[in-house]
Order: sequence, then structure tokens, then C-alpha cells
Amino acid sequence: MFTNRFAVIAGIVALLAVGMAVAPAAEGPDPAAVDQAFEALKTYDWGSDRAPLEALEKAVAACHKDEAARRQLEKRLAAVLGSDVSNAAKDVVCRQLSLIGSAASVPALAALLPDKELSHMARYALERMPCPEAVAAMRQALEKTDGLVKVGIIGSLGVRRDVESVPALVKLLSDADVETACAAAAALGSIGNAQAAQALRGFLAKAPEPVRMAAADACLTCAERLLAAGNKAQASALYMALTKPGQPKHVRLAAMRGLLAVKGQK
Amino acid sequence: MRREQGNRCSRRRFVRSTGALLAAAPYAITSSALGAGGAVPASERIAVAFIGLGGHGIGRNLQMFLYQNDAEPVALCDVDRRRVDRALKVVRRRRGERFRCQITRDWREVIARRDVDAVMISTPDHWHVPLSLAAIRSGKDVICEKPTLTIAEGRVLADAVRRYGAVFQTSTEDRSVDIYHRMAELVRNGRIGKLRRIFVQLPAGPDQPGDPRPKPVPEGLDWDMWLGPAPWKPYREGLHQFHWRWNRDYSGGQLTDWGAHQLDTAQWANDTERTGPIEVEGVGKRHETGLYDTFYEYHLVYRYADGVVMHVDSGGTGLRFEGTDGWVGNDSWRAPLKASSPEILRSVIGPEEIHLYTCPEGEHRNFLDCVKSRRDPYFPAEVGHRCSTISHMGNIAMELGRKLRWDPQTETFLDDDTANRMRGRASREPWRI
Repeated sequence: MFTNRFAVIAGIVALLAVGMAVAPAAEGPDPAAVDQAFEALKTYDWGSDRAPLEALEKAVAACHKDEAARRQLEKRLAAVLGSDVSNAAKDVVCRQLSLIGSAASVPALAALLPDKELSHMARYALERMPCPEAVAAMRQALEKTDGLVKVGIIGSLGVRRDVESVPALVKLLSDADVETACAAAAALGSIGNAQAAQALRGFLAKAPEPVRMAAADACLTCAERLLAAGNKAQASALYMALTKPGQPKHVRLAAMRGLLAVKGQK
Repeated sequence: MRREQGNRCSRRRFVRSTGALLAAAPYAITSSALGAGGAVPASERIAVAFIGLGGHGIGRNLQMFLYQNDAEPVALCDVDRRRVDRALKVVRRRRGERFRCQITRDWREVIARRDVDAVMISTPDHWHVPLSLAAIRSGKDVICEKPTLTIAEGRVLADAVRRYGAVFQTSTEDRSVDIYHRMAELVRNGRIGKLRRIFVQLPAGPDQPGDPRPKPVPEGLDWDMWLGPAPWKPYREGLHQFHWRWNRDYSGGQLTDWGAHQLDTAQWANDTERTGPIEVEGVGKRHETGLYDTFYEYHLVYRYADGVVMHVDSGGTGLRFEGTDGWVGNDSWRAPLKASSPEILRSVIGPEEIHLYTCPEGEHRNFLDCVKSRRDPYFPAEVGHRCSTISHMGNIAMELGRKLRWDPQTETFLDDDTANRMRGRASREPWRI
């Protein structure tokens, strides 16, 4: 009985698969529906009906191979960020720009970075955008922000492994704010180039107690990145620094494992 | 993650080193703590902290650990104080009314403790990886509910587990359930010939779109901490008690939830648990209004490099593996095994054949054993990540409405910038991966 059920499903799925195989890429919504979505954004707020906005998501998915349509849609979305709409509406727009945003929408997103309530959603878009302008905007915002907003930006620069941020991040290692210093260490570890390694190694010995664990973790990540890039000498130096008695046992063990990996790499 | 510190196992070392002194002072410590009456001595018990105490956190994970004599609950943590109180009552029913342990709404207080050996994480999905990473980086072993929230964070987790040599268990029972273990072993040992097609059924839902309107935050709930790395939004009642799973900010819906069960068996049987498919396409339906926006109906087709095709469809639970010489499967969750012939069902796996790693006593027992032996548990981070990735790929393909090609080696989509962007998400400050 149930076996038959699977046979039926197999048949349906096979038909579906054939259908999908010949189906064109996702078709865009009616242009009028997109216009209505932009109109709905003007009054959209938390808890509003999101049905009218569905057209935006469909339009974003559909402009995959239509550069002109993508640019046009991006332009309209970026314009919303500069208008007098709710944070909820800007949240929706940032999500869509995270998928199709280019250098053209960076200025509108960068303007939101210092805003405590919108900084995260600006990063939500910028962190995903492969263009160098997106990273540059976050790097520049480092100097104009502080507190948690700055911590978030540091995190995104780490995710993007932005080498140009290294000098600024090295300075932030000694920031009085523990969150900022920990975030800077983690970002440097993630970037993992020679300059970051040198700074982290120097910092490891003098890191204040609340930052010590983050510094050690950053060194481990950094060493792994260096090893992957073929820089065995600096990777070994970092691992050796982590085997010192002052480090927690699990860090020392991880460093020993790292040293073995260095030895094992041809 | 933040302000981590500590040496592992210091509590156990402390108890060991002071055991003689305590034994000389019998009024200061119970005899059962020293191992009398068959109890495991405190020095040998694994100190387990519980973070996330919802229905599954208490009803399954806490309860299962309470049955393990070598596990000692040392902390109960949830963003909702009411749940912590509920959990404490459950522990006291088993351990006595005088039982005491750390009670907190802030997980950082738990992670900062040097005397916590292991952490059981049963939070909503968007907290799984950040919490696991914080625990691992502070020297703890982790058993964490499935799935991950994104492909990118799963990779970070698997790398961190490897880097630290931590014991990490993706918390599902499937690999301890005889039916699934047997199913995978039969396929792996060629009892159905060469595997050609896999059919996976997962539940559909939710039926209702949910109420998106903001409501006042209930007393005792730290809403900002509940949101954690997810985008800020006001409290909405419909997210509470499991239903957060239907919103993309916090989960991937039924596909990622049940996928972590049935897709794991599929990967296990296909011997692809440390890699994955190379192609996915599919269609799904979502509520276009309301609070819930994950796919409630979905039909996906995956293709592996060796030509195996896997169909994943919503509308129940079940598995079926079809090969050149027959098939095996079952019709619903934990339903009896079926096969194309009685010979397959009766087949004995010989001593020289492939015997898959299991632990019939379940995921919690397997985890505790591994904390002691330092062996990988049966569903380690890398395998869990690869399993979750299949579900994430499916969700991304449905959201974009097109076929996607995937490179399991580099874990990138081929020739699709938008899909690649969807592999990760920025964390809300101050949280990070």
C-alpha cells in the first residue's frame, strides 16, 4: 500500500522533474505588481500585510540574467532608502539589495551604517555584495562609528577578509572597549595575512584578560589561513606562541595540532 | 565569541584532587557523590550546561541527560525565565528537591564558567552555530540541536570543531535507530545493487500563515537576546514555542528541520556524508502573507556526481532507496523496513563488510561516551553541516526559481552570483560567527 504511494510519488516527481527541466528561469512578476510593491513600501510597517511586497522578491529572482532590469530595480530600491519610509520598509529593501546590489546602491546603504537601528540591515546588504565599493564603505564607516555599531562593522570586514582594513583593525586591538577589541582580533584572524599575523602575535602576550580568549582564537584562525596560503614559517610562529604555558589547555592542544599540520604539509 | 575564558575540566580535576579530603569529612558530601550504591562518582561525571529550554530542550534533551548517571546538570539557561523555572522543576523531580545549579537567562555566564565540560544547545536554529562556536572556543564539548541556519556558518562551525579537536554531536537520534542504520548498511553493502534513486519524504506545513502583528513582550522574556544575531523585529506571538521555525530569519522550515533527519540517512546510505549533490532544482509554495515565510510545500530534485538522483518531497515522512537489483525503504518515521525481496530483509551483514557507526542508546549517550574517549560522535559537525547544506541548497533554488549547480569541494554555486550571496548572512551586532 505504502509502497504504491512511493510509486505514485515517483511518477509525479518524474513528471515534475521533466517539467522543471524544460521550464524557463523564474518569470518576473507583472510590472504593475512591482509598481504596487513600491507604492506599498511607502506605508509599510512592522505587522503590515507583506503580500503586496512579494512582487519585489520575484522581480529580484527574475532579473538574474537581465542586467538592464537588475540595474533598474536596484536603482528604485536604493532610492527608497533615502526616502521617508519606516525602518520596516528599509529592512525589506536591504534584503533585496543584498541579492542584487552593486556599486550603484552602495552610497544609499553606506548612509545607513552609522544609524543604530539600520546599521545591521545595511551590513546585511553590503556584506553580501561582492563589489569592492561595498567593503570600502564599511571600512570608511569604521572611523565614523563607535560602540556596538562599530563592532558590527568590524565583524563584517572580517567576514569579507578585507586586507585594506588591517592597519585600522590593528589599532583597535588596544581599544578600551572589550567588544571592539575582541571583534578586531577576530576580524584580523579571519583576514589572516602576514600583517595580521604579526599584529596578533604581538598582541597575544599583552592582551588584557577579557580579550585573551578572542586573541588566542584569532591566532589559531590566522595560522590556519597562513598555512593554507603556504606561509609555513609565520603559521609555525603563531602556533608556537600559542603553546606557551599561559594559554588554556584547549588552545595549546589546538596549537600542537596546528604544528603537526605544518610539519605534515609538503 | 565574546569574553571567553577558561580551562576545561577544572571542576573534575578539583573534585579528583580534593576527593581524599572530602572522604574524610563525610558530613560535607553525600556517599553517592563518591560513587556509593552504583552511582558514578562526581569526579567522573561530565558537567553539562543546558542552553535553550523549550519543549524539545526540556522534554527530550534535558530528560535524556537526566537518565545518564555520568552526566551532571550544572546550569539551566534560557532567555525566558519561565522556562528555566520549569526545567528546574523537572530536574528536581529526578534529583531531589534540594538540587541546585546555575540559573540564568544569559548564556555568556554559562560559557564563562571553567567548570562546565559540555553544553547541550536546544535553542531556535539561528542561535545554534553562534552558541556552539562560543562554547568550543572556550574549551567545551557540544551537543547541539540541528540544523544550521546558513551554509557559510556551517562551514565555520565544522572548521572550528576540527581546529580545536572538540567533540561535537549534531543532536538527532536517527543513527541510533535500528531501521535507519539497517537501511543505510543494506545500501552501502550493495544489497540493492548499485544505488540509482533516493526518495525522501518530509512533512509539509505550516498550514496557516501566522499573525505578523507586533505584541508586547511577555514578562520574563529577554526578546533582544532571543533575536540575537537575527535582524531586529518586534516581538510577535506566533513565533513562540516551535513556530519560529516557519520564519526565514530563524530557520529554513520543514525542509531544514526534517531534512536533518531523513536526508542524513540518505547521505549515509549514499556514502556522501562528507560531500553532497552537484545540482538542485525544484519548486515550492510559501504563504504570501502573514508571519510565516518558509516553504510549506516543496518538490526538489538533486543530482550527485555519480549519477544518483534524489527526490525530496513534502507530504509525510519516509525513505526509499532504489538500486539496480532492488529497493529498501520505509513508509513513515520509524516505520518498519520494507524491501523488494525477503532475501534483502533477511540479509546478514558479514564481518568483512561495511558496518556503520551507531549507538543504540541514542545521541546523548553517544555524546557522553565520546567526551570521554575523544572519538567523533556518530553525527559530527562536518557531516551535520553537509546534511544541512542540502536543505539550504533546496531553499535557495526554490527562492530563486532556477536550477543551481553546486561544487561540494569549494562549497560554492557555479555561475550564480545571487545564489552564492545567499550562502551567508551578516550577524546583528554585537554577535558574530
